[in-house]
Amino acid sequence: MIFCLRRIGAVFLRYFYTITGLHQISELFLWPLIDILLWGLTTVWLQQQQHTPNLALIILTALVFWQIVTRANNDISVNLLQEFWNRNLVNLFSTPLTEIEWAIGSILLSICKILISLSFGALVIYLLYALNVFTIGIYFLPFAASLMLSGVALGFFFSCITIRWGQKLEMLAWVGPFFFAPFCAVFYPVASLPGWAQKISFCLPMTYVFEGMREVLLTHQFSMTDFLISISLNIVLLIISVGLFKYSFYCSRVKGLSRLE
Amino acid sequence: MMKNVLSVRDLKKIYPSRPPVAAVDGISFDLHKGEILGFLGPNGAGKTTTIQMLIGTLTYTSGSIVYFGLDFSKYRKEIMRRVVFASTYVSLPWLLTIEQNLNVFGRLAGLSGKEIAKRADPLLERFGILDKKKRSVSALSSGQVTRLMLVKAFLSSPEIVLLDEPTASLDPEMAQDVLSFLQDERKKRNLSILFTSHRMEEVTELCDRVVFLHEGHVVADDLPEKLARSVASHRLRLQVGDALQQSIAIAEKQNLTYATDDRFIEITLDEKQIPHFLAALAHAGIFYSSIKILEPNLEDYFIKIARTR
Repeated sequence: MIFCLRRIGAVFLRYFYTITGLHQISELFLWPLIDILLWGLTTVWLQQQQHTPNLALIILTALVFWQIVTRANNDISVNLLQEFWNRNLVNLFSTPLTEIEWAIGSILLSICKILISLSFGALVIYLLYALNVFTIGIYFLPFAASLMLSGVALGFFFSCITIRWGQKLEMLAWVGPFFFAPFCAVFYPVASLPGWAQKISFCLPMTYVFEGMREVLLTHQFSMTDFLISISLNIVLLIISVGLFKYSFYCSRVKGLSRLE
Repeated sequence: MMKNVLSVRDLKKIYPSRPPVAAVDGISFDLHKGEILGFLGPNGAGKTTTIQMLIGTLTYTSGSIVYFGLDFSKYRKEIMRRVVFASTYVSLPWLLTIEQNLNVFGRLAGLSGKEIAKRADPLLERFGILDKKKRSVSALSSGQVTRLMLVKAFLSSPEIVLLDEPTASLDPEMAQDVLSFLQDERKKRNLSILFTSHRMEEVTELCDRVVFLHEGHVVADDLPEKLARSVASHRLRLQVGDALQQSIAIAEKQNLTYATDDRFIEITLDEKQIPHFLAALAHAGIFYSSIKILEPNLEDYFIKIARTR
């Protein structure tokens, strides 16, 4: 016989044994739900937009903007994970390095990577679809800056989770921001969301940027109020997430950083 | 009086579990300037926990750690510029080359790019990995990674080096080379080293003093030779052939502990008793075809402590 059922069974068990915690079981339900919410709401909204101009540009600009959030998040949270995987955390933090210095270094690299990534994304959209995501002009900069802050705050937040619960929740380092995607109106306006979801939506700084982006593309109006709300919420979110990050590092030192490797 | 560069007083680490676990329970010791201190103990004795507290990757529950007269809890950053740590059990970023790793860790230690370039090559050459400078860490053997960890540790010319089993993954020749490097560095720069190892013979060779931990307590703080003598007597192993029963009778007459193995008798006795026993054998006309005197060593001490768990 070509296949040995016992060996196949052993492999099945090897991965089955990892589905033990609530977090792993929740993966089976949570991600389908997030995807259905995000793409379902987007599709429903798109169906209603027969007369909206620049629809493709709105969606593609939103996509490029969303990249800022995910990349900034990844450059904090995935960088930290890399140190876990490399068993390098003890090495790093047995030097004079502080957590905040580590974070600032990561953010600086993140800014460089986002600039390259954004330029590349914009170029591809221009070449493939003849659309210019920089149509929103100078407003691109404040929007991008605000989203960068959101991504960094999320990066700190999801890093706290991996520091607290270790590598068993490592997938959140990449996909964590997608929890917020259905609520922050990336591809559709907040008005498309049900009432309860709108309340969550207005607490998220990203919402004001995506709403503002659509407003600029559709009406050429820049809402300074929305932008300031976004920045203010980002500052609050950053203070909380940096505080949590420092606190989880402190808690981790109580049990020992080597525990994370 | 010798100058202390590190003073640990009543250091405790109690893990907040139910019930709380005291991994380190009120230990005190000093590391003197220019001293190589062996930090020994069986698995679970609290060595790694203590080292983690000494480098700040684990908080301590109570007690104090003072380096160069500065409180570690307040001056960690300043202190870690002068203290480095290397271990066989931590690693380095796998995808970075040796050169890139040294560039990162040299800067973390406060060196400029120029200083790193100037210092790295001689150290890499000393540890036999200069030709692998452009290779990623993933392409190195575990022994080469250990040597790279040592290069990284000595790159910033530290005043104190904390080494957690630095020879564990090295072959005997390379391990010997590392030991002679450590001795040279100590001579040249009056470097202080805290050294852990499970190879008792290298601890005896290298260390000026040994602190022995057991179940989170310091059970001894003395010279390696003194510790060895404190638990074990000499062992005299003789091949006596057909005279085994006569030899046993003499050992019993002198109240000596013995063990037999085929045509061998092994007597456990004090160094001073050896001539008396041999004289008694000669007087009884017993000839032995081989003789071996085994001196007590640190391993005897280690085994005795480990067995008292």
